[in-house]
Amino acid sequence: MGNHDNEKNLRKEGVMKKTFIRDFGLRLFLVPILLVLLGVCFLGQGGAMAQPIVLGVPISRGYPDGVDAERGITLAVEEINAKGGVNVAGKMRPLKLEISDTRDLEPGVPVAEALVGVERLIIEKKANFIVGGPIRSEAALAAMDVLSKHKTVSILSAGVLSPAYHKRIAENYDKYKYCFRTTGSVIPMIGGAINTFESIKAKKGFDKVFIMVQDVAHARAAGTSLKEGLEKKGWKIIGYEVYPTGTTDFSVGLSKAKDGKAQYLIPWFDMPEVSILMKQWYDMKVASLPIGYIHALQDEGTWKATEGKVAYSVVLYAKAGSVATKAIPMSEGFVSAHKKKFGTEPRSEWTSTSYTVVYILKDAIERAKSLDSEATITALEKTDLMGTYGRVRFDPKSHQIIENGDPKETAVGMWAQWIDGRRVVVFPDKIATRSLELPPWMK
Amino acid sequence: MHIFIFGLVNSVILALFASGFALVYGVSRLANFAHGALYILVGFSTWLFLNRVGINYIGSIVLSILIVSLIGGAIYRFLLIRVKGMPDSEIIASLSIGIAIMELFRWRGFISETYMLPPFVKGSVNLLGVMIDWQRLLIIGVGLAIMASLWVFTHHTKVGLSLRAIAQDKHASMMSGIEPDRTAVIALAMGSALAGISAVVILPLGNITVETGYMVLINAIAVCIVGGLGSWAGVFAGALLLGFSQILATALLGPHWQMVVVLLFIIITLIIKPSGLLGRQKELEERV
Repeated sequence: MGNHDNEKNLRKEGVMKKTFIRDFGLRLFLVPILLVLLGVCFLGQGGAMAQPIVLGVPISRGYPDGVDAERGITLAVEEINAKGGVNVAGKMRPLKLEISDTRDLEPGVPVAEALVGVERLIIEKKANFIVGGPIRSEAALAAMDVLSKHKTVSILSAGVLSPAYHKRIAENYDKYKYCFRTTGSVIPMIGGAINTFESIKAKKGFDKVFIMVQDVAHARAAGTSLKEGLEKKGWKIIGYEVYPTGTTDFSVGLSKAKDGKAQYLIPWFDMPEVSILMKQWYDMKVASLPIGYIHALQDEGTWKATEGKVAYSVVLYAKAGSVATKAIPMSEGFVSAHKKKFGTEPRSEWTSTSYTVVYILKDAIERAKSLDSEATITALEKTDLMGTYGRVRFDPKSHQIIENGDPKETAVGMWAQWIDGRRVVVFPDKIATRSLELPPWMK
Repeated sequence: MHIFIFGLVNSVILALFASGFALVYGVSRLANFAHGALYILVGFSTWLFLNRVGINYIGSIVLSILIVSLIGGAIYRFLLIRVKGMPDSEIIASLSIGIAIMELFRWRGFISETYMLPPFVKGSVNLLGVMIDWQRLLIIGVGLAIMASLWVFTHHTKVGLSLRAIAQDKHASMMSGIEPDRTAVIALAMGSALAGISAVVILPLGNITVETGYMVLINAIAVCIVGGLGSWAGVFAGALLLGFSQILATALLGPHWQMVVVLLFIIITLIIKPSGLLGRQKELEERV
């Protein structure tokens, strides 16, 4: 019996011991889980406090324009986040970038691909706002319906110079009120260009031009408008030629300009092969000053790459800011910050516009005190701030940036001339840092 | 006079674009659709050796051409050999390699407009009242020298004669001890080297872009269709016809006609003489 009781007691003790170990082990296992859950809840709360504002950026990353825009946006976002983010109704929230490669500038890529890129940013990436692109006019025009469907506010800051964009907004405000644009339209650009040519005529006395444009919609529209506008002002048009994209020889046109004694050559090209035109102009010593929209010549590295053959060429930037000018203080800080981060000065106008667009949005959100589309639209329509290219205000009916004037009053474009290896601002007069110079073979 | 001078420059440029493509097709009956990609590969690699590695210009050029020749040979030895005899697959395979090379450059950020090679000879000269740069005159010289060298090579050297033998009668040449795959590797390597030589003399006129590769391929095919494959005289005749037509169309009708005349000549050639002006390949329309 005694032995049996002892055995029973021993078994009981053993069971109790096992239960204790099991319970203790369970607790040991449960405590960390509880701690993790508490941590997650706590951190989750913390995360909600600083939930980022998502900026969707649909751009063509395989092209310089896309890279330029991305650099401008990235720089501005980093600056804003370094200062604590955006103040939304008293709560500081950081900006988060979601970039989608829409490939809209690549030849043969259908517009539908850009639309999918924009929609993916809104649906999958939960973008609160869209900034930057799409860059090609056709893609941006088609994306307007996507933005309208999702009621997502967008501010274009690269490419898209077609007048159709703001015309559509003005004609159907309720549907397209979500769309804003800071890049400008080709019509005011041409108006500004004609004023610049008149100013040059007054200073230099030249009145003969030869116009060479690329066979793409915006360039043809610009060329025709320039031709008509200059003719009305009494200029003599020596020639007007349209070149297919990818042209690699301009000798015939240049010979015609030379034979016709044109004093100005007005190229309007966004294709990279335009550098061949400039090298041929230099080698053939054509006595006509190139002055126009020569996109490939906007890059700071062009001088070195062409071994100085772009000397004296005057390049139009749709918006100022990518070359520093004291007349626009923000441009100086921007150019210096860009050089510090990327090692070079900003390349094209789209870096300047895309940098400023983030500040425009920040300002609007802070005034709206919300991320709500309707409130942000109202705030954007009342925008009035100084950007890298002058004063930023939108036309409340067409959401087009107000431009062409004094940088203290409106946004401005810029004409920069290549002198001694540097780009210097020569027009408009209010932001010019130097006077226009002629090549030695024209004097 | 400027039409004659710049027409000649344009024609020689087109002949250079087409020379490598025509050599490969003439020997191995293989349409190398990676030709344009190999052209820009030499451009970008020369630029990289010159500006990033610090090798001098001539060294960079030699190294780039050597590398592209090896790549050309390897394309045949490791890939095209597996689809040999299947023309559709050969075209798809070589085009895929070409697109992969070109888009690789785009993906790695070679998209700036400042990738340029310096000219060999700087400055301009007044030639019969027309100002022209020395680089363009150099292109004429190099182009004519290449055409003459290729003729001598394919008519008076053992390797050249074996290449022609394979092109004329594969089975008979095999019975004479000529190995067709080895000659095809040589042809691909030489064709790639020709693309490279063309690149280093033509690219200093402008800049190196990914799109240039597509443009070179299209122009090379156009010259070969019009001039006729399998004949050096045909390639040169096609290049002269298209080159002068483009310059004349630009001068008389306007620049946007320069591509129209090329397409017009392709259509006319395919309707009237599908083998091209001096071509010996009768199934041309089935191959290209």
